[in-house]
Amino acid sequence: MDFAFSADEQAFAAEVRQFLREHPPSAFPVDGMDAGYGSGANSKAYILALADRGWIRMCWPRAFGGGERPMFFKLVLLEELARAGAPFGPLPGIWQTADAIIEYGSETLRRDVLPAIARGEASFWQGYSEPDAGSDLLALKTEARRDGDHYVLRGHKIWSSHAGIATHGLVFTRTSREARRSRGFSMFVVPNGTPGMDIRPITSLTGEVYHYEVFIDDVRVPEGWRLGPEGEGFVALLNGLDSDRFWGRFYKAPALERVLGHLVEYANTTRVDGMPLARDAGLRRRIAAMATELSALRWLFYRAACQIRDGVPITYETAVAKVMADETGQKVARLGMDLLGAWGLLREGSREAKLGGEISHSYLTSLGHTIAGGTAEVLRTTVATRGLGLPAAR
Amino acid sequence: MDFRPSPPQQLLISTAREYLRRHCPIEPDRRAGLDVVKLWRGMAELGWPGLLIPGEHGGSDGTLQDVILLVEELGYAAVPGPYVASAVAATSLALAANPAQRERMLPALASGDRITTVALGDAGARRAHAASAPGALNVSGGRLNGRALFVNHADIAADVIVVLADTVVIVPADRRGVTRAPLDTMGGDPVFEVAFDDVDVRDDEPLAVGDGAVAAAVRAGALARTAEMVGGAQRILEMTVEHAKTRVQGGRPIGGHQAIQHACADLVRDVDCARGLLHVAAWREAGGEDARADVAMAKAYAGDACLNVARRAHQIFGAISYCAEHPLHMIHKRILAASMDFGDATAHLEDVARAIGLEA
Repeated sequence: MDFAFSADEQAFAAEVRQFLREHPPSAFPVDGMDAGYGSGANSKAYILALADRGWIRMCWPRAFGGGERPMFFKLVLLEELARAGAPFGPLPGIWQTADAIIEYGSETLRRDVLPAIARGEASFWQGYSEPDAGSDLLALKTEARRDGDHYVLRGHKIWSSHAGIATHGLVFTRTSREARRSRGFSMFVVPNGTPGMDIRPITSLTGEVYHYEVFIDDVRVPEGWRLGPEGEGFVALLNGLDSDRFWGRFYKAPALERVLGHLVEYANTTRVDGMPLARDAGLRRRIAAMATELSALRWLFYRAACQIRDGVPITYETAVAKVMADETGQKVARLGMDLLGAWGLLREGSREAKLGGEISHSYLTSLGHTIAGGTAEVLRTTVATRGLGLPAAR
Repeated sequence: MDFRPSPPQQLLISTAREYLRRHCPIEPDRRAGLDVVKLWRGMAELGWPGLLIPGEHGGSDGTLQDVILLVEELGYAAVPGPYVASAVAATSLALAANPAQRERMLPALASGDRITTVALGDAGARRAHAASAPGALNVSGGRLNGRALFVNHADIAADVIVVLADTVVIVPADRRGVTRAPLDTMGGDPVFEVAFDDVDVRDDEPLAVGDGAVAAAVRAGALARTAEMVGGAQRILEMTVEHAKTRVQGGRPIGGHQAIQHACADLVRDVDCARGLLHVAAWREAGGEDARADVAMAKAYAGDACLNVARRAHQIFGAISYCAEHPLHMIHKRILAASMDFGDATAHLEDVARAIGLEA
């Protein structure tokens, strides 16, 4: 057992911190809202800056222009960026898509999309959920019909994050009806702006746009833009979701540690009846317990990370980590509300807002986290059945 | 970074699992005649009491990490006995003493021949350090007076190490003026009030250890008690999942119901998180780094999480777990006792509060 970072990893962390000093997050324009997952806002300029350092492709095989750096370098980068509150929103999704293209993408995708990803010019929305296919994803109705060397896609996707400002969609479709419910699905990479695709914003409870719904009306996609073999999209999707639970939440613990740091500072400097809030025994204990939970959360993710790195099969470890990340995030926001009181209601930019209004924002965004990417209920079932071997519920 | 125990540590774990399965049954009825001293001797033959002690003093040259992994197994088997008091806390203090005292104490601690317990003073159960209760215990003119509560295994201990505000002394438990009165705890574990009435303290009995050594011994004890909780919670998790798979109601296993499945999923989270914090804290402490905040987090978290595991398991097991003959309550009570020893969650959270910069 050894919980230290290697010398190489530590050197890279120092390199990232230097980058952060040279590229202060606040200096970058933001294109899409921070959804509170810990990866900050969506900033194309920031992704370009990361690409400029070669960090998007740093772990790819050399044959694809990568640097073949170990996977833990990604964790180091994510953790440092999250601790600094950097707006690297789309980065984890970009990495996942690139990995899929490298693993089973067509020559077309490798030639036309991968270089754009490396340059920081491409980002992706997930076209998975549909109005009648949420937790029951396989109930989806969007179809891809073969037409010569093209497919014709038709359907309706929803809850696609930042779809309106991304460059490509990953559209999960049915390509055939098969006896086994999990067969007959295929994934397509579809550039935004392809004729027949209508991407419409959904205003969220924060008042800003995060999700979109996408109407797909006879969208023609060349065969080469299918991601993976026809009919086997579900396996790819499952791998994607497994990995989504990890890569979509890994940076939450350091990001929440940053928020908690703000709360500690607030508790130290805010006096009620002449006494700092920090000396309120109840609040003091809750803040300390929250710091403890965040540390537990961080190590839960590093355990899963070591399993992924070492090729140890994941059964429940990313599922349990995602649930914990999302529920802990909600607790941090709730604690923040209790600390700030009425000031917690004030939004960013309001007169008298405390901590830049971040608590009001994270309180609201965190509500969606236990729903997105697999609900807490679905994932607890995963832990129980895949992890503990309990029988499937009827 | 690597979460896996080393091959020698894996061997230690599997040896302990097998030995304790044979010699320390979990079922309360089979455990009734268990001879704690005989079990202790068996553990001593395996070299466990000497894990922290160098080979030159008769020990087995282990590390605090090894100890933590072993104590997880002791917790898993709900092993009674003085391991944490003698082989962890008392041994940590003995290791910090002067060469003559080390020479005298360590071989008997390593062989298990002189079981040694630790009296942290009146406040020992609540606070991590006895210094918060000045006057409760004192040494003056070579005489020890006062009393200590919650002293584990004082009945079979040959020596008692008494931690006072400004000094640490070791006295034989049978010296004139030492009286040991059992406290009646819910778990039936041997916990005593030890009173010292004008007890003679000889020249070589004040242990030449600094404040840092006391704090380090308390941290080691806290980590060991945390390991005991984690091991116990792991056992409860396994028992509960097995029950959920095999207990049939309404024609199917109760584990096929989402309400039970989701409760079990939370048990996994609690155990895994508690173990993660424990292993990291033990690694940092063993590596000589400042591990105060890590130890405090580990013990505070486990105290809460492992009790949640026990309480939720009672609900999943249902009425059968309310019976004396069922092992769950026994493990539950041991977790509860461990959560109080070497600082309870409230005391450790205060340490965390300071470590994260909350103004005191």
